[in-house]
Amino acid sequence: MTAYGRPDHGGGPRVLTEFSLPSEPGNERRVADDVAGAVESLGLAPDRMERLKTAVAEATMNAMEHGNGYRPEVPVVVEVISSSQELLVRITDLGGSPVPVPDPEVPDLSAKLEGLQTPRGWGLFLIQNMVDEMNITGDRDHHTVELVMHLEEGPKGGEDAS
Amino acid sequence: MPAKYLEAEVRREAGVAVIELRGEIDAFAEEALAAAYEEAEAENPETVLLDFEGVDYINSTGIALIVGLLAKARAAKKRLVACNLSAHYVEIFNITRLSDFMGVYPDRVSALSEASTP
Repeated sequence: MTAYGRPDHGGGPRVLTEFSLPSEPGNERRVADDVAGAVESLGLAPDRMERLKTAVAEATMNAMEHGNGYRPEVPVVVEVISSSQELLVRITDLGGSPVPVPDPEVPDLSAKLEGLQTPRGWGLFLIQNMVDEMNITGDRDHHTVELVMHLEEGPKGGEDAS
Repeated sequence: MPAKYLEAEVRREAGVAVIELRGEIDAFAEEALAAAYEEAEAENPETVLLDFEGVDYINSTGIALIVGLLAKARAAKKRLVACNLSAHYVEIFNITRLSDFMGVYPDRVSALSEASTP
């Protein structure tokens, strides 16, 4: 477990960027692109960068929709932190609803095609498959989804992973 | 970043209804995608091909829209196939198992060639 905090000029964990955006449809792509720009210097393989962008966009969309109810005046806060081992992206909403729990029911395409499950419900599933770890924390005032990418080739490594 | 709303154009090639997609497949795409599919289905083709060459973003809502089209196609006993997905979206089609239910081809030529095979 790596300890994270504010910028550490001695080469430890550092905040690469922190920003907030209004909860407006479409802003998830802005967040994904801004996070991608912030982590460019880390040298993620292109396929892992694409996965990170998809996870960030999905987590942001969830925060805007389910956390903040797409109220533009309620922002989504994004924090990007790196250490030598990990990249963390924390996406926080200010929703007052219960902390979202990943649906234990894995989306089942057969069931969806037979009308036994809604066609939707792919968001958390995609996030879980795009990053190395996903953690959800929060209280009655906010929820934070933390996306973790291992910077050394991890279990979801690129094509050259053994 | 301004949203690139989906544009969809329907063509007929080698007996296949081809829906050329350009833009983003997200919640804003629902109307354009549904209208294009309806137009494609009107001529009762055996196969409908979704050509993703001009698509640079598909989110979870877009995946749900594609699931909806696939359900419609299966109900009508038609084949729904896809081509020109980027490597990243091929991976997402694999993870979601969409590729188990619809043929995914690297380009339009191979998709049309396969589609014309009985």
